[in-house]
Amino acid sequence: MTTRCVGGLFLLAVLAPAAGRAQGVQNATLRRAQQAYDNLEYRQALSLGQAALRERLAGAERARAYEVVGFSYAALDSILKAVDGFKQMVLIDPERQLDPNRVSPKAYSAFDVALRQVLLVRQLRIDSTSFVAGQGAVPIRFMVTQPARVVTRAIGGGGGGGGGGPANFLVDSSAWNGQVNLSWSPRLPNGDPVPAGTYTVVVEARLGQNTFSASQQIRVTHGRVDTLPHLTSLPGYQYLPETEIPPQTWRPLGLAFLYTGGALIGTLGLESGSLGASSKRELGVVGGAALVTGFVMTLRKPAPRPAEGNILYNRLLTEQIARRNADIAKENVTRRQQVQLTVGPPLKTGAPR
Amino acid sequence: MSQGGGIPVAMVLLGVVGWPAGAGAQHLTVGPQAVLVDYREVSSGLRYSGSGFGGVATGRHGKLSAAASVVRLTLDPTDQSTAGAGFKATQLDAWVGYDVASYASVEVGIIRRTADPGFAAQSLGALRVGARSTYDLGPGATVSFRANYLAAPKFSGGGRASFSIDLGLGLDVRLAGRLHGVVDYAFERVNRKTNPGGTGEIDAPIQQTLARLGLGIGF
Repeated sequence: MTTRCVGGLFLLAVLAPAAGRAQGVQNATLRRAQQAYDNLEYRQALSLGQAALRERLAGAERARAYEVVGFSYAALDSILKAVDGFKQMVLIDPERQLDPNRVSPKAYSAFDVALRQVLLVRQLRIDSTSFVAGQGAVPIRFMVTQPARVVTRAIGGGGGGGGGGPANFLVDSSAWNGQVNLSWSPRLPNGDPVPAGTYTVVVEARLGQNTFSASQQIRVTHGRVDTLPHLTSLPGYQYLPETEIPPQTWRPLGLAFLYTGGALIGTLGLESGSLGASSKRELGVVGGAALVTGFVMTLRKPAPRPAEGNILYNRLLTEQIARRNADIAKENVTRRQQVQLTVGPPLKTGAPR
Repeated sequence: MSQGGGIPVAMVLLGVVGWPAGAGAQHLTVGPQAVLVDYREVSSGLRYSGSGFGGVATGRHGKLSAAASVVRLTLDPTDQSTAGAGFKATQLDAWVGYDVASYASVEVGIIRRTADPGFAAQSLGALRVGARSTYDLGPGATVSFRANYLAAPKFSGGGRASFSIDLGLGLDVRLAGRLHGVVDYAFERVNRKTNPGGTGEIDAPIQQTLARLGLGIGF
């Protein structure tokens, strides 16, 4: 029962990657091989695949033929030959990747062994990015299938990397194996940003006599660094009203009484005894006017008065904003002298050499 | 009485009418005045009452303030007076003040009153030295109280005064826009003494109450 289950899973797994591929195949033999594989006729698929390889095939169809041969050998438990088939496949199409969740473990392990037996630079990826020159780098990722001396260069851009012709910038030269993550700071030897233009990032792996290279084009453009806007307010802090209306009181009438009373007392106190009591008509007129005015002012809404605390707070806020704006202005002066480098999307991927 | 010294000072003080406009924190007010007056001299039997008209000018520049008032008075003997005839008088008052606090200022100035005819009453000239307290009653309304010592008084009839004082109550109310109502009360007491014929000093006090009621145009 276990054998049946494994067999069923194997069939499903092997069928999955081949499904639908026969439709795009131009070569008749290869198409028949694919159909035979789809019909689980592995021996026939194998012989037809080998026959197709003897015919004249385009690169993609040749890789497809090796893939059918590899899968057929794996299905027939001929692992070493399956590995050979997959090796030929990845040499033609190094970016070919099998999904371990969708192919049989035998086929996948054969594919994995094949990858480790050939020197490849795969999955070269350069992400789009944008940064201020000198403050960022271009991320470069790739995979080397065998331990090898890997030299990564950026070529192009119209000079500046030393010598005449296109610029040639050495990004990295190290021994690597497996996943590699590099970063390239696109600067000239004098520290200036590299000229704008199209560059080709070439990754060349060398192991003894074997070499393999992959490349990808990127576009580097120059731009101005965004300057910071000046502040008109600080988030969370608002200007407060600089005047406040005091509560209504009897103070105006009280003051009028006080001042009028002072004048009255002064008059009474300073009157000369020999001259008799002075006329109060004049004081009555002026004092009455003062009292009426005080009473009216008591009933009126008080005049706004300066709110010292708020004035100080607003002054501090203004000074703080001015200080921040001075810093921003200084920062903007620096930013206007900087160059924003933008690495555009890859234009095309390289082909194996 | 020495008449020569006061006039130039008064002219300078009256120059506040031409207070320069355009400088910061300054106010200028000029306007006419109607006056009520009560005047007594020497004894309770010599008393006059009357009215008059005149003009006032006030100015402020920062902590400095100035005011000048000229009124023409017509005084008649009261019913209880023993005087036979009235007289006319011209009174000039001027002050220059400096704020020492938001509500207090010190001030100096002059007072000069001339009687016409001259023998009908004493003409007076003196320097003012004193203080003034001013408070806001409300929007556009201020009340003030002043006390001035009248120093070095001179009289047309001679004599001296060991104690002379002038008290005042003022009110300034903005009636509408630039139009102000300006009223002022002044109580003046001069302890004049004379020595007629060298027989010894006798009291000849002077006492006046005066109310100025006016309008002012602010600039």
